[in-house]
Amino acid sequence: MPEELSQFSFAVALATLATAVGLYVLSIVGNRGLQAVGASGGMALLRPADHGPRAAAGRYATLLTTNAFVFLSAALVARAVATGHGPFANMFEFSLAFSWGAVALFLYFEFRYQMRTLALFVLPVALGLLVYATTVPRDIEPLVPALQNNLLLSTHVAVAVLAYGAFTVAFAAAVLYLIQHHDRIRWLPPRAKLDEIGYRAVLVGFPMLALVIILGAVWAEIAWGTYWSWDPKETASLATWLIYGGYLHARVMRGWRGQRSALLLIGGFGATLLTYYGNLFFGGMHSYA
Amino acid sequence: MLTAPDRRRSMASEAGSRSSARRHLRDVPVAGRIFRLLASMKFALVLILVLAIVTMIGTVVDQVPQGVLEDQFAYAKWLSRAHERYGMWTSPFERLQLFNVFHSLVFRALLGMLAASIVICTVSRWHGIWNTAFHTPTRVPETFFGHARYHVQFESSLQVSDAAARVRKALRGSRYHVRADVDETTVALFGDRNRLSRFGTFLTHLALVLILIGAIAGGLWGFKDPGFVVAEGSTRDLGMGTNISVRLDHFADEYYVDGPPKDYRSDVVIFDDGREVKQGTIRVNSPMRYEGIAFHQLFYGQAAVMKVQDAAGNTVFEDNIPLAAQTSDGLRPVGYFEIPTYGLTAFVIGAAPGPEDPAIPAGDVRVEVYKGDSSAGSPANLIQGTAATVAGLTFTFERESRFTGLKVVKDPGVNIIWVACGLLVAGMVALFYLPPRRLWALCVRRPDGTTEVRVAMPAQRDFAMDGEFERMSGKVKDALGGAPSDPEEGDTHA
Repeated sequence: MPEELSQFSFAVALATLATAVGLYVLSIVGNRGLQAVGASGGMALLRPADHGPRAAAGRYATLLTTNAFVFLSAALVARAVATGHGPFANMFEFSLAFSWGAVALFLYFEFRYQMRTLALFVLPVALGLLVYATTVPRDIEPLVPALQNNLLLSTHVAVAVLAYGAFTVAFAAAVLYLIQHHDRIRWLPPRAKLDEIGYRAVLVGFPMLALVIILGAVWAEIAWGTYWSWDPKETASLATWLIYGGYLHARVMRGWRGQRSALLLIGGFGATLLTYYGNLFFGGMHSYA
Repeated sequence: MLTAPDRRRSMASEAGSRSSARRHLRDVPVAGRIFRLLASMKFALVLILVLAIVTMIGTVVDQVPQGVLEDQFAYAKWLSRAHERYGMWTSPFERLQLFNVFHSLVFRALLGMLAASIVICTVSRWHGIWNTAFHTPTRVPETFFGHARYHVQFESSLQVSDAAARVRKALRGSRYHVRADVDETTVALFGDRNRLSRFGTFLTHLALVLILIGAIAGGLWGFKDPGFVVAEGSTRDLGMGTNISVRLDHFADEYYVDGPPKDYRSDVVIFDDGREVKQGTIRVNSPMRYEGIAFHQLFYGQAAVMKVQDAAGNTVFEDNIPLAAQTSDGLRPVGYFEIPTYGLTAFVIGAAPGPEDPAIPAGDVRVEVYKGDSSAGSPANLIQGTAATVAGLTFTFERESRFTGLKVVKDPGVNIIWVACGLLVAGMVALFYLPPRRLWALCVRRPDGTTEVRVAMPAQRDFAMDGEFERMSGKVKDALGGAPSDPEEGDTHA
């Protein structure tokens, strides 16, 4: 029963999120109704005008995304009830969780910073993960002994998907930053704001990724007797962490601000994807997920 | 984005964090130049990014397992398999140590340089950050209030002391720590919040160096036996400079109904100097620890209880032999034991797993006996409970049994690692979630007895402070109960 509920919620989340992406595109792209509000200068906030069909599309998009988030959460919870553990045993569970993390962080940034435009690049990633999840086996397999450390592993994965979600938001901000050349596009937020959002997202993701690596090390020490084995998933996450660490330094350095920092965020997201998918190509000790 | 004059100002306001002006590099000796390079953020950034790239290469290119690297034969075999994947690139990759990136000279040199860079950056910035945290002047030149990145001015009908008291209260209400400096016509206020968070940067960087130290300590003073094998009922010395031995009383494995493994456990007794010191069960996720040595469940396999008697019927050997190695064709499990009085080595070979083994029926073992390198008698297949004579001795395969494979690790660096991880997290929380803030206010008495209140905040290099400044100037405004004196002055200069 929980398993069916999980599958049903997953299907609803997928359909809702797909619709939401469409509505976001309709409401944002080319929308001249956006107007600057708030402080003057580079830090202006852009809010859509609150009437007209585009505005309605935007409102429905947010509503649908929130809805998709609720159903994704339900799918994960029901799945956890069905399997008796967190979403770490296979790629189906982990893709769902990653998508959930991306949507969660997007909603946080949309509500906290009024950054609806991030949807253009965050939600397609979240949607892509869900579509990918439909292609992988989703049977519930019993856990091999090494994975039977439920609380530690569930925490490890929960923090990981939030970190990945934050990096997805930072990626979206960086892509928009590069598109928004010389602040010429009126329907995109100004560069300074995008730069700040990218930075704030990394402030969430970077310490979380450190925590993921630490929790993984604690678990590896218990399960395998070595806190670090140079396993591909470990090294990929280390490289990812280093890139974002580089970004944090670059962002305050002359000659590296702006454009180059944005490129680092995009590189960091590439590394994040490699960390997430890497086990499919490299094998190693994370071969299950 | 800061404009050039802004940047100069904001740097000037970072009291003392920038030291002396740049001298001509040509005049500085080599050691000084290296120091300067390692103290430079730009160099540190390049190091971090190069390290990230090298780490990525090590992730994408197959890496040789450490055990294989130590065994020439196994390494050659590994390389020939790598050749199937990398073709003509195999030998250049090998020469560049791309199959062993994380133990390569380049990687170690990068880590060493990063550690040096961290230490030198810390040392050269310590003084400035210390001063910023503890020796900030309460009163700053009045021009600062006109030039700071964020500034605003209010008018109040209150007297100077009352206005100052209100501003002070507003700042305290936002958890700012406030100092005041009063003179005849003005009250200067300085408020800061989370000033200790400035040291978070040292915590995180120190933690990274500690992690390297922990790893080195583990390598120098620890040991690791990735395949310590004990058969049921048998006791084995650990070696590695210890007097510890381990006896396996029982090994058990459990499976789910449809096949996958559920649990592996070993009931063991640990002896130190021949004394029993610890007893318990080792499972996959619950190692046993004794005196800083951890015993982890890693694998298991078939064992054979063997007895050897001479022609007179005296027992010359009796033990449970783990078949933990593989025959050179890689097909069958094999174990061996020595019979020193006869100078013989006996190999016990089990049946190949999977479909019928043509040479050794399932459940049987084959005994091959050697003296030096040459065979000492024709091999014999034994059914459980039977005996055969090889090389003049009677070999009895008493019964089938099991062995457990433990990973035995002593790592004196591991506690350093955990402490470092704690520092890393604490430092990041301080830096990212409790960022330091500083604000100056100047209350000036006007000739008519009213007060002019000026508030300013310096730019922070990492954070856009607009939100914080807007919030704080709002609080001050509410406290004074008035609007900014000049709307244009009230704008932040972003």
